[in-house]
Amino acid sequence: MTTEKTAVRKTVLFDWHLANHATMAEFGGYQMPLWYPSGAKHEHRTVLTGVGLFDTSHMGVLTVAGEAAWSLLQHCFSRDLRTCIGIKPGPLTPGRCVYGLFLRENGTVLDDAIISQLGPERYLVVVNSGMGPIVREHLLLHANGPVDVADRSGRIGKIDVQGPAAALVLEGLLGDPDKVLSDMIYFSCKGDVEEGPTAVLLRDKTPILLSRTGYTGEFGFEIYLPAAATVSVWEQLLAAGRNREIAACGLASRDSLRTGAVLPLSHQDIGDWLFQNTPWSFVLPWDETGQRFSKSFIGAEGLSAARDKSYTYPFAGYDPRKIPVTDKTVVLDRHEVAIGTVLTCTTDMGIDRVGEQIVSIVSPESAGRPADFLARGLSCGFVKTNRPCVAGEQVRLTDGKRSVPVEIRRDIRPDRTARRSMREMRNQEMRGETR
Amino acid sequence: MKEIDELNLPGDVYYSPEHEWARKEGETVKVGISDYAQDQLGDIVFVELPDVGAILEKGEEFGTLESVKAVSEIYAPLSGEVVAVNKTLVDAPELLNEDPYDNWIIELRPSVEDEYDELLSRDDYLALLQG
Repeated sequence: MTTEKTAVRKTVLFDWHLANHATMAEFGGYQMPLWYPSGAKHEHRTVLTGVGLFDTSHMGVLTVAGEAAWSLLQHCFSRDLRTCIGIKPGPLTPGRCVYGLFLRENGTVLDDAIISQLGPERYLVVVNSGMGPIVREHLLLHANGPVDVADRSGRIGKIDVQGPAAALVLEGLLGDPDKVLSDMIYFSCKGDVEEGPTAVLLRDKTPILLSRTGYTGEFGFEIYLPAAATVSVWEQLLAAGRNREIAACGLASRDSLRTGAVLPLSHQDIGDWLFQNTPWSFVLPWDETGQRFSKSFIGAEGLSAARDKSYTYPFAGYDPRKIPVTDKTVVLDRHEVAIGTVLTCTTDMGIDRVGEQIVSIVSPESAGRPADFLARGLSCGFVKTNRPCVAGEQVRLTDGKRSVPVEIRRDIRPDRTARRSMREMRNQEMRGETR
Repeated sequence: MKEIDELNLPGDVYYSPEHEWARKEGETVKVGISDYAQDQLGDIVFVELPDVGAILEKGEEFGTLESVKAVSEIYAPLSGEVVAVNKTLVDAPELLNEDPYDNWIIELRPSVEDEYDELLSRDDYLALLQG
């Protein structure tokens, strides 16, 4: 038996992270920055008020192309590709993106993913770090026709540009910003990961795929580009933002931003248990009745046959106090009965309570933010319980040593910007609303 | 993260292997966390302090520090009675990141004479950090 360790991988920005004194940690098989010297709190708040850059080149990136690409994804993905876009749901079309899951037959989560349609028979599937080969194998196992599933992980660089000033910073790099940005709605994309007539070009002629999606719950973009161009584009973005509030951000602020936005961390908030009764059940292909699935897909039977019920809820505390998430950490109801476990507990540093109301540092004063508001942050996260809870229910998290009272919530961080209109976000500068 | 040679390790305090420092000031000893500890923790967002009057034994947990990612216990580097706590940290926990030596956490009246002398000197602590 050999004891050879798998080498920890590095993104193309690894040397930049070290040169800029990031605190590094292993994540998903990669050495990734946790935070830079200005700290995770600063990074978190900068994404709420300015713009943050995230190196997400560690994510798994697949292309799925060919005659059977659509039917393969329709069979394996948890969204109905015929009815997943818009208020009056229509089909996924070239230039649109959709978030969903790959489930196992038994209804547990293999991984979550964003699928972007690049062309008539061509899709980009972005999964979590280290999951590229696993999801590729899963797809190939279920392929039933001509389809090419290529794992591009590591060969495509990826930078997330997140925060209300994201478009204003990006404009400085785009060859034709008005043409590219003006009609980019939430969860749409332009360009390609390969050079060609559909590519979106930066001023330096780098071809990119640009999607208006993101990690954080805030307005922003994800840029996919040739790996070799990543460091240059990263530095160009920092230079374009030098007169604004801009920060390189690590995994710690990614986690706290995501949790405050009620977005799950894969393999932590969704994972090896049935995907049911979650805040994210919108990713399942419910029909108009909301009682049945509109298609058959991998995992559907497992979910339908499920007997053991569990329920996932977001929560927020009353101050920044957290609980370590260990095997001993439990959720107690007001009768001191253990009703579940804690999946994630972090601190959203951009919010605090004003009385019973949660307010963000970017909430307008008309929404209850006092002029002298100083957010200490609130603990927040997700619990998994064995019975339904209602929003507003008080529960207690304890690891046997400390006890943190928290409230089950529908939402955590108010006044998020992810869905704001492009026009509004690009016009902020004229109104002096970004720093 | 700081390299070992970038750490601020003053010679006028003594250190515990758990990364607290202690500084004798007359009859009492101020206690805080080292630059290494604050650097490892990252942004500290909450400090839980003991009650004044609490009797601590060397190595006993007396409070918690919460950073963005972690909850960490703080341990008494020597035995004694808590005669004061630094309440400014309750509203401004980030002071521990900004200057971990100016911003003490508790003040102890030692109850065991030799324990202070058993703490690590700057050089001993540096050697411990260097492994």
